[in-house]
Amino acid sequence: MAESPMWEHIGTSFVHLYYHHFDADRAQLSTLYSDASRLSWEGEQLQGKAAIMGKLMNIPFHKVQRFITSQDHQPAPDNRILSMVVGKVKVNGEPLMEFHQAFVLKNMNDKWICTNDIFRVALPHFG
Amino acid sequence: MEYNDDGSSSQGKKNYQSSFQRSCGEENSNYKHSGYEPLPSHVQLDDGNSAMRDAHKDLQIRHTPTTTQGNNRRVKLNNEDRIYITVSRERTFQKRKVEDRPVWKDRTTPKREMEENGQDETSSDWFKITVPCGRKYDKTWLLNSIQSHCSVPFTPVDFHYVRKHAIFFVQDTGTASALRAINYKICDEENKKIRIFVRHSIVPHSVQNKLRPEQMKQLKRTMNKRYDFSQQSLDLQSFRFDPDLVDHDIDMILNQRNCMAATLKIIEENFPEMLSLNLCSNRLYNLDGLSDIIQKALKLKILNLSNNKLNSTWELEKIKGLKLEELRLQGNPLCNNFSDHSSYVSAIRNCFPKLLCLDGQQLLQPVTVKNETPDKMKSCQESYIVSDALKNLILQFLQQYYWVYDHGDRHGLLGAYHDEACFSLTIPFNPKNPALSSLDKYSKYSRNMKKCKDPVLLVRLLKHANNDIVDFLNVLPKTQHDLNTFLVDMCSQTEKMVCFSVSGLFKEVEGVCNDRIRAFTRIFITTPVGNSGLHIMNDQLFVREASPKETQSAFSTPVSTPSSSSVYTLSQEQQEMVQAFSTQSGMNLEWSLKCLEENEWNYTRAGHVFTTFKAEGKIPEEAFKQSP
Repeated sequence: MAESPMWEHIGTSFVHLYYHHFDADRAQLSTLYSDASRLSWEGEQLQGKAAIMGKLMNIPFHKVQRFITSQDHQPAPDNRILSMVVGKVKVNGEPLMEFHQAFVLKNMNDKWICTNDIFRVALPHFG
Repeated sequence: MEYNDDGSSSQGKKNYQSSFQRSCGEENSNYKHSGYEPLPSHVQLDDGNSAMRDAHKDLQIRHTPTTTQGNNRRVKLNNEDRIYITVSRERTFQKRKVEDRPVWKDRTTPKREMEENGQDETSSDWFKITVPCGRKYDKTWLLNSIQSHCSVPFTPVDFHYVRKHAIFFVQDTGTASALRAINYKICDEENKKIRIFVRHSIVPHSVQNKLRPEQMKQLKRTMNKRYDFSQQSLDLQSFRFDPDLVDHDIDMILNQRNCMAATLKIIEENFPEMLSLNLCSNRLYNLDGLSDIIQKALKLKILNLSNNKLNSTWELEKIKGLKLEELRLQGNPLCNNFSDHSSYVSAIRNCFPKLLCLDGQQLLQPVTVKNETPDKMKSCQESYIVSDALKNLILQFLQQYYWVYDHGDRHGLLGAYHDEACFSLTIPFNPKNPALSSLDKYSKYSRNMKKCKDPVLLVRLLKHANNDIVDFLNVLPKTQHDLNTFLVDMCSQTEKMVCFSVSGLFKEVEGVCNDRIRAFTRIFITTPVGNSGLHIMNDQLFVREASPKETQSAFSTPVSTPSSSSVYTLSQEQQEMVQAFSTQSGMNLEWSLKCLEENEWNYTRAGHVFTTFKAEGKIPEEAFKQSP
């Protein structure tokens, strides 16, 4: 395959930008959400830019080390893009944990915005 | 407003029409019979096509009342008879294809039935209401919007479409003025103003040619003979040639608005419980007239429209309001519009999502769930609070999905996926340890290797189309998922999209890696179908090795399964039997499987056994418990 499809470009760039902002200047993440966006952070449901930013600015992650194991992007209905990121995080000196994050991206006014975001750290709480 | 001219102001008309056409972006290639009186070939009407306009003048013609005598049916149309029909500016009469004319030629007498007793409907003023580009609006929405803005209540008569415009008739000057007044007042969903043109008109066809009372009586008698009360089904196949009707000189051309209206009236009054209607071989060109049936036959589930002349699925959209379960369309030109069978089926299913059977073929259903409270699903569409009903819907969907995934031929999942669904699988690939042989079964189906910015190589496969997807899923190793380890996160539900992620553990149950535990994460984007089903649009799966801790915790909680449910492959038919049995009995899938197995897959016998045991109280409670 000579060229990768559009959704992979956009998905990859978005993911890169997202984590860059997350680590460098988290307030910048507000440019990636809109008022129609929804976030599910560890099961907590949040809607709208304000609520989402409120959560993200206040999570107790100070020092984050992230290793992305896998990224995948698919075209979704309504001209959206579904991106999935799987990897490991090391937070605040705690042991390495698996995490996964899913983004649904939509083009609004020539910018790609995240309309849906699911984040979950895989803690072994089975049984 | 004077509109009948003999062509002298054709120049002005030309400009009007072309600007009219431009504003609506008309195409004039699709000719459909408007359901009005068919005209012989030599009577040409200007149909808006500029080439034709040069060749033919607009004819001014008026209706001639002709009294019909019983024996005089075979009035041939020729030049001397001069059928007069008034033409208004909008081109309501369109050229019929010549090859379709022959059979009807001898019998096309326009009957002008006058109401002899009671009010003469033909004498009061009639007006034609045109909504330009009205075709794009849902009929019910359009009429309701107009009514809500209009100060006078009105009854639309002979609602139909001509190219892109919606047209109907109203009686009475007061109503017409009221409708004129709301021109440019109604906004559609795109915030564009809806125009409403009001013009004086001749009496609409169905009113003018209304059947006489004695004809209606005969029609009712004939239809009664054709109605099967035990099945609640009405057979109107080749209705025109029914000997009863022919003997009484009743010409039931169902394409004509008056005939269809009379038929529907009799259905409404006499067969309100009608379940099934057969309209095969009635030369139906369009379903404008039939669309009135939606309010009259509320129970209609089975419709046979085969061997008619329906040109496009646009006609079916007019009867979209029917909750059809069975439909026959074979023998219509529209069937040839599709490049393959599955796009034909999809298009029809788009119109009628609850359809179970098309042209005699059972359709695969999306994985549906028993949802006790279907109304709750609707109420949570706009809210961002994830309701319990939605959670249950998703959990039950997953339960059914993984049951098929683990127990049998994964082709059984075909119906769960939308035709154009997307599926991809990723596994981690560590360059430091390329011999990741334990995931070898997954990695060997790589389609492309992509180097990305991270120093990690990804192995990825992307599948489109539900057939490809289930073919591929079938190739993946057999699994047993531990539903107790499932963690489900929901994010977003709108009318069209339910998005959620699932992560958990599963065990491989075949081959070299038998009993190896894996961890997975899977993102689904689904779209709701019908009342209680989900259709998968996107499916993104990630599989990795489980950590030692995870491996330990997997399958630690015993799942309450009867001893006989060992993991073996069930055929698709067996899977469907189990699901159907589960739905009907209320027992969960494991117990339904057990019951069917013990009764040698004899569904009826299993049913009897179940009912007996249940009555005797011999079935434990756990049989009815759905797992979390």
